[in-house]
Amino acid sequence: MRYPKECVLKDCNEAVLRPLGPEDRELLAEFYSHIPVEDRWCMRYDATKPDVLERWFKAMQDGFVDSIVALCEDRIIGHGSLHFRTFGVTQHVGRFRIVVLPEFRMKRLGTWLLLDLIQLAMDKGLEKLRCDLVVGIEDAAIDAVYKFDFIKAAVLKDYVKDVEGNHHDMVIMIKHLHKGWSDF
Amino acid sequence: MFGAQRPVELQGARGPAEIPLEGLIPHSMNQQTRSHESSETEIVTTAKGAVAISSFSSPQQIHRYRFDEQFGSHAQYKSIYTKRQTLEKIAAKNGTRVVLALGPQETIIGFGVLDFPEPHERWYQLGPGVMIELKAIEVSRSWRANRLAGRIVAHLMRHPRIEEMIAYLVGYSWTWDLDGTGLSAQQYRRMLIDLFTPHGFSEYQTNEPNICLRPENLFMGRIGSRVPEHLRQQFKWLRFGISPDGPPG
Repeated sequence: MRYPKECVLKDCNEAVLRPLGPEDRELLAEFYSHIPVEDRWCMRYDATKPDVLERWFKAMQDGFVDSIVALCEDRIIGHGSLHFRTFGVTQHVGRFRIVVLPEFRMKRLGTWLLLDLIQLAMDKGLEKLRCDLVVGIEDAAIDAVYKFDFIKAAVLKDYVKDVEGNHHDMVIMIKHLHKGWSDF
Repeated sequence: MFGAQRPVELQGARGPAEIPLEGLIPHSMNQQTRSHESSETEIVTTAKGAVAISSFSSPQQIHRYRFDEQFGSHAQYKSIYTKRQTLEKIAAKNGTRVVLALGPQETIIGFGVLDFPEPHERWYQLGPGVMIELKAIEVSRSWRANRLAGRIVAHLMRHPRIEEMIAYLVGYSWTWDLDGTGLSAQQYRRMLIDLFTPHGFSEYQTNEPNICLRPENLFMGRIGSRVPEHLRQQFKWLRFGISPDGPPG
């Protein structure tokens, strides 16, 4: 894929998408320090912890994760990551996570990051994309992935707990990455 | 065919993996340029024989040629321009450009089309004559892998006003000849990017609904060197369907 990519947000602000590089460690740490705890809670790791970022960058180096970031005026405003395996029964499946700074949400930045991650997954020859989202907390993301033809593969009732201990459903959303068109 | 909002074809050429023509024949025979009835013609020698790439094709010029029979319906793909008359109509319009690849017996074996967007299209909003669409490139199945598509693009880009305009192309994956090329949609997409990038095109993001229907669809643009800054900025906003003076789209 060709980077950097320019995109204009709904409020006319401009952002640039490009791959996350090793030199971006401080910028990424700064980014996650502005993500509210209730959002970070939905991730499996606390990205404000230096050792978590360390593992992410190691995973990127080892080829298990591809990351793209959106920048506006030299600060990261969005982060998308595609996680995949190189061995085993799910090596054809990618998982992704998108995080956007609160003040840049609902401006289509997440959509542009998602579109890029889908193309990245297709470039890698993956056959499916999966994301697990929390109902009642990540509804905007659920709506966005629906519009990219993700289907609800499963709902795990009352599976997760939010920061305050309330139970929520978790939906497993899957997108099939077709290599061509049908003969219909 | 169904599902295609716009009949755009972008197909035919292989990517850089092909054996270069220059390696097969003497350079002096490879490409020669000459004038021909107000047109510019380049003779390209291929393994299948000489091909004339002809620019500035007028309707009268096109009229005397015939379409290769490979431009038609195949099991999983249909050429959209199957009639010579369609190319004649486009060539008759002021400022458009049709480039033909002509094989033996005055047969059209490939073509490329530069045409202006229709007034109802998003890309017309910058004003008449500002944006021009690379509407189609196709090489007959039996003549592919001869690097003809690249030569056709090069001739299209010799449009006398190309540096004053924003040329663009839209690649809808449902119009691609995946069956004929044996490529996946994503491979085909990459092949197109490789085809057009050397001619100054870049991939651009857009929220144009037809393009966004499929992630592998493609939008590329080439901003001419003499396009003023305000039009470059407007083009950026137009791609995302927004206007700083109006409500977001």
